[in-house]
Amino acid sequence: MYYVRPETVAEVLEAGEKPGMLYLAGGTDLILKLRRQEVQARGLVDLQAVAELRRIRVEGDRLEIGAMVSFADLLNNDQVATEARALWLACRSMGAPQIRNQATLGGNLANCSPAADSLPALLVLQAQVRLLSHSGETLVPLAELLERTPLWPSGTLLAGFRLPLTGGASGFAKLGRRQALAIARLSAAVALREENGRASGVRLAFGAAGKRAFLSADLAEKLNGLVLDGGFTEVACREARKVISRALGERASAPYKREAVAGVVREALASVEFMKSGEGA
Amino acid sequence: MKIELTVNGVARILEVEPEERLLDVLRERLHLTGTKEGCGEGECGACTVIMDGKTVNSCMVLAAQADGHAVTTIEGLGNRGSLHPVQKAFLEEGAVQCGFCTPGMVLSAKALLDRSPHPGKEQIAVAMSGNLCRCTGYDKILRAVERAAGEVKE
Ligand SMILES: Cc1cc2nc3c(=O)[nH]c(=O)nc-3n(C[C@H](O)[C@H](O)[C@H](O)COP(=O)(O)OP(=O)(O)OC[C@H]3O[C@@H](n4cnc5c(N)ncnc54)[C@H](O)[C@@H]3O)c2cc1C
Ligand code: FES
Ligand code: FES
Repeated sequence: MYYVRPETVAEVLEAGEKPGMLYLAGGTDLILKLRRQEVQARGLVDLQAVAELRRIRVEGDRLEIGAMVSFADLLNNDQVATEARALWLACRSMGAPQIRNQATLGGNLANCSPAADSLPALLVLQAQVRLLSHSGETLVPLAELLERTPLWPSGTLLAGFRLPLTGGASGFAKLGRRQALAIARLSAAVALREENGRASGVRLAFGAAGKRAFLSADLAEKLNGLVLDGGFTEVACREARKVISRALGERASAPYKREAVAGVVREALASVEFMKSGEGA
Repeated sequence: MKIELTVNGVARILEVEPEERLLDVLRERLHLTGTKEGCGEGECGACTVIMDGKTVNSCMVLAAQADGHAVTTIEGLGNRGSLHPVQKAFLEEGAVQCGFCTPGMVLSAKALLDRSPHPGKEQIAVAMSGNLCRCTGYDKILRAVERAAGEVKE
């Protein structure tokens, strides 16, 4: 195996598109996989020296987050804390300080574990994903990308995420640490706005319920327009139960998660800034 | 491959294999055996070192990734003659039993106090949450960090 550390995106792509090369971000997933020989690599292309992949910045009405931004960077960023609350809460729930210092947002998507914590949050925040290859740049909504297997052709570089700044509120909650058995893990993210006392623009996404994180269009439809009173959370919990039931089907984890989801959704809603006062929750 | 890094303030040039972990290089090539290998999977924090001011688990970092960076291990903090305030506090609080987790604990505490000299209880608990201890039950460790915060103030 050999190791290279290019400094520009062009050099990264040139190295990464050669057969057998893997991109290396923080390494918190990849290094273990290499050691366990779950993946083989002829060489590693370390992305740490490409400055533009490490930036978080507001551009007009959107937030641009580079793929190499670490979870600690996100947690320390005021814009993320206010404008992308669900993502900030997901980062806070993740791993230990040592892992947050090293693990990147790009690696979380690229590794694409069913329980990747950032994905439900990025879904409700309507993230678009910037992909680069020799044929140019493409921008794909995350929800659409997560339907593809593999996520992208090998050699493709995930450059970053684009989040529209909608001014809406969002929240996130999860059950079970990473070491917990898969059956005991579940996460939910929510985004919504209040308009004349009613919910609008509602989005709910789940993680660790099935192969990949997903947005529930059904739930959004059921919840949009409902009055934001105590009953709102109850309807959300009840409907979420049906969604999880359908998503998990006959899986062994279905009976447990069907019950657990109400608590997770309740907590995710309670973490939304304007729902905290108690009137909504 | 050749890497250049600073370890405990000393510039080092080393010939390493690309698959070698920082942990292996510290222990086997530099004989800095204060850095421990517990789980080898990022979960226990026994292998914690400080890289450019931030704690990382050296079992999850390739030596190649550390090329060009500054690493502090427990050997860089103090010695029997002159203990670092965090080390002193750990001894005074009786926060060391078998000692296996201690180097990682001390480095997590140091990184916290360097960044915020007056941490609250909650902040201390979060900063130490990536370091597991099988012996002490954590109370004494958390108290030791609080004590060190007092020491560092002076
Ligand atoms: C102790 C521990 C605790 C953890 N806790 C959590 C947790 O609570 N929640 C959670 O979601 N995850 C957790 N993880 C998993 C892991 O830390 C995350 O998935 C992390 O985000 C991976 O990022 P990385 O930068 O380390 O990726 P790497 O390991 O460097 O890479 C992962 C994969 O993505 C590819 N890749 C990386 N960047 C790019 C890019 N820009 N373009 C294309 N491909 C790329 C790599 O080739 C590799 O296949 C934990 C891991 C450990 C060891
Ligand atoms: S040995 Fe590195 S975290 Fe356990
Ligand atoms: S003192 Fe033994 S593991 Fe902590």
